[in-house]
Amino acid sequence: MDLGFWPLAIAIGLPFVAAAGMPRLYPLVGERIGYLGAAVAAVSFGLLGTQIGTEGSVSRPWIPSLDVAVRLHADGLALLFALLASGIGILIFAYATSYMHGKPDLGRFYMALLAFMGSVLGVALAADLLLLFLFWELTSVCSFVLIGYHTEDAESQYSARMAMVITVGGGLCLLVGILFVAIAAETAGIGAFDLAAILERNDAVRVALEETGLFTPALVLLVIAAAAKSAQVPLYFWLPRAMVAPTPVSAFLHSATMVKVGVYALGRVRPLFHGTEWTSLVATLGIATMAVGALLAVLARDIKELLAYSTASHLGLMVAAFGFRSRYGAEAGVFHLLNHALFKAALFLVAGVIAHEAGTRHIDELGGLRHDLPVTAVITALATLSMAGIPPFSGFYSKEILFEATWETAQTGGGVAWLYPAAAVFASVFTVLYSLRFLWLFFGDRPDGLGSIHRAPGALVVPPAVLAGALLLVSVRPSAVIDLIVNDAARATAVGVVDIHAGIPRHVSGPVVMSVITVSAGFACFPFYTEIRGILEGVSTATARVHPTTVYRSTLGTVDRTSRLVRSRVQNGLIRTYVWWLLLSACALTAAGYASTAVGIPAPAMAETPVAVVLVLSVAVVAAIAVASAESHVTGVLTLGILGFMIAIFYILGSGADLALTQLVVETLLLLIFLLVLEEIPEFYGELKRGRALRDAALSVVVGTTAFVSVLLAAPERGADPTPTAVFYVTNAVPEGGGANVVNVILTDFRAFDTLGESIVVIIAALSVLVLLTMRDRGETQ
Amino acid sequence: MTFTLAATVGALFALGTFLVLRDDLIKVVWGLAIISQAANVYLISMGGLVAAGSDTVPILATHHAPFPEPTDPVIQALILTAIVISFGMTAFALTLSYRAYQENETINVTKWEQ
Repeated sequence: MDLGFWPLAIAIGLPFVAAAGMPRLYPLVGERIGYLGAAVAAVSFGLLGTQIGTEGSVSRPWIPSLDVAVRLHADGLALLFALLASGIGILIFAYATSYMHGKPDLGRFYMALLAFMGSVLGVALAADLLLLFLFWELTSVCSFVLIGYHTEDAESQYSARMAMVITVGGGLCLLVGILFVAIAAETAGIGAFDLAAILERNDAVRVALEETGLFTPALVLLVIAAAAKSAQVPLYFWLPRAMVAPTPVSAFLHSATMVKVGVYALGRVRPLFHGTEWTSLVATLGIATMAVGALLAVLARDIKELLAYSTASHLGLMVAAFGFRSRYGAEAGVFHLLNHALFKAALFLVAGVIAHEAGTRHIDELGGLRHDLPVTAVITALATLSMAGIPPFSGFYSKEILFEATWETAQTGGGVAWLYPAAAVFASVFTVLYSLRFLWLFFGDRPDGLGSIHRAPGALVVPPAVLAGALLLVSVRPSAVIDLIVNDAARATAVGVVDIHAGIPRHVSGPVVMSVITVSAGFACFPFYTEIRGILEGVSTATARVHPTTVYRSTLGTVDRTSRLVRSRVQNGLIRTYVWWLLLSACALTAAGYASTAVGIPAPAMAETPVAVVLVLSVAVVAAIAVASAESHVTGVLTLGILGFMIAIFYILGSGADLALTQLVVETLLLLIFLLVLEEIPEFYGELKRGRALRDAALSVVVGTTAFVSVLLAAPERGADPTPTAVFYVTNAVPEGGGANVVNVILTDFRAFDTLGESIVVIIAALSVLVLLTMRDRGETQ
Repeated sequence: MTFTLAATVGALFALGTFLVLRDDLIKVVWGLAIISQAANVYLISMGGLVAAGSDTVPILATHHAPFPEPTDPVIQALILTAIVISFGMTAFALTLSYRAYQENETINVTKWEQ
């Protein structure tokens, strides 16, 4: 079957359309509107499902002059990610309809959730760099609304803002990175923003990137963007805070969508950047996150917090996998993308069930829930064992492939590279530990304080049960799923050939030993969970000063204080201050522009200036000085008049007959108006403070110098040809406009509309003057 | 020639800026007027000022080709517009100052109630 534009476009667009209708529909339909969301997700899921096995790009022009188009691309990876987002979306909407019963603002909630789903589908399928950026930022904005669902709650506000600052900050890095890649793509002769073409000809773009020296900057920026989105060290801290959101949101954002966006982007650009730098940056980042996330998950006291840190850890696993060069890297990353989405979404939904039925999320207050929630217990067992990577559950297969990737990298790299497998095993031991701890909520002893727990309603249990069913399928028949989509997806991110084998290992090898160590050490340590947590708490307290959260808070505080300081200095309510800073910045920017283009100041030709011009202009400047130092208003106005008349004479000397006439009329009128107004206004008696006068004089000198330099730089050379525009008007004035006075013809014929606008300005000014003067006489004061 | 123009433009801009920053509202209006004049001279300098002559004025003596090469008429059209607009602006600013004085009973901008 061929790839169609409309199935993809509708799959992305429908959630947005539905989102726009939500606030209107909600008052009519009520809480059941959630099922409409599920239906929309199902339509998207179905449309995407029809595209499995296809590969290619389709596009419709958007901004042809900039080579920006609505380009959509489908391949295994894009479809896998999009199917996960929409498939889990169906379950989340169904779950939310029951879970969010009786909560306020549901119209807005579902609107944001739908728009979010559309954005994630957009990220998955976009094959245009700008389109990708657009959807990327939309996911950040929507997640801000979703995390800040409890708008009145201070903690919710703080967390939403934190998520926004980190992910949008990452988005800015993405934008710059994208522009670098676009520059290179253009150099290589490919459409600047065409991601599909860039990836197809990645060798050419890569060479162009290296030649322009943009390779490392682009790589680093894209990795920062992905790290911010996918909660990698040290930008992971927004993820656990985001758990203030309602559980369906957490389950959706933090299992399959929002946080996977970064991982997905890394997988996408992997063929373009793979190499030594890529591995040392991405794989190290991933492995570090894997370890830190696992340690923090063990420390957690809240079940959603535990899941959040565990998510960070598993994201680290995927990032690390994509970091390794070998085919195992691509395989592990993609396969775990699928497995993690399934088990983590299920576990979040289970956490929601627990919080809903038991009324607490505190780990130490929960236990022995299997009697009260038997079905949920089975689901949890499947999901946690998969998360821990215990054979034969699905998580084991992908983790085993990661072990193979680390093992291979260590064998070829030697030396320090052996830290990769070591750190992976270390992190995985803790993964087993916290997974078992989560399972223990159901199988441990029941604490005395725990009250009676109701059986969960079907609507809350069915969605996680569906996910558990999918997990079971992957665990029992991994090859079926791999053949359906995972293999294709891995091929899209891989550099060479991929061939995923998942199964229980039958020979002893390095990676197998790693798995054995992981599982046995995990089980052996579990009885000492409390002691281990105590030790970790000690470490955490000792390093509190360098925690990213602390750094974030102090940075934000500094920014806050600085901006308050700047505001009190720059925007203090006096227009004069605004003008002062505005002019200074304008001059600084102009000077920076001149400096960056490194233009030399041309030697001015002084000798040829006619004496008359020098005289007239000197008188003008002297008059201006007299205005500036005028004692009374009347002297000032008169000297201002002198300045105006001198300028009029200057126009005559500069061949501007019409200018001189106009200037003379205007000056005479202005003089009259000034004198009329001044009659009503008293003299000003204020003293000139020395400090301020000096400061203002300094700024005046800066402005004057900037203007001086600008004239020298911008004035045309002597004897330069007239501009084409000037020639056009001179030659066409008579034949086209029927007049010999070129300036008049321009004003009344060629640019008559502009002159009409100008007349309107003068009329408006006249009307305003009239209104201002008559208003007070009618008694309208203030 | 350019140097003279540049010096004039620089001096006028500097004096105008100084006046705009004063407490006396009337002086602020003067500053604006001087800055508009400076901007007009700036525009003239962009056309390349040449000594005036019968051919340099952009009013054609003959109604058929070949046409002479006068100074840039576009710039003159621009300045003409600018002169009229700045007239409107200055008149409006003055009236506004008058009204501001009526309401606040002072033309010291720092003494106004904020």
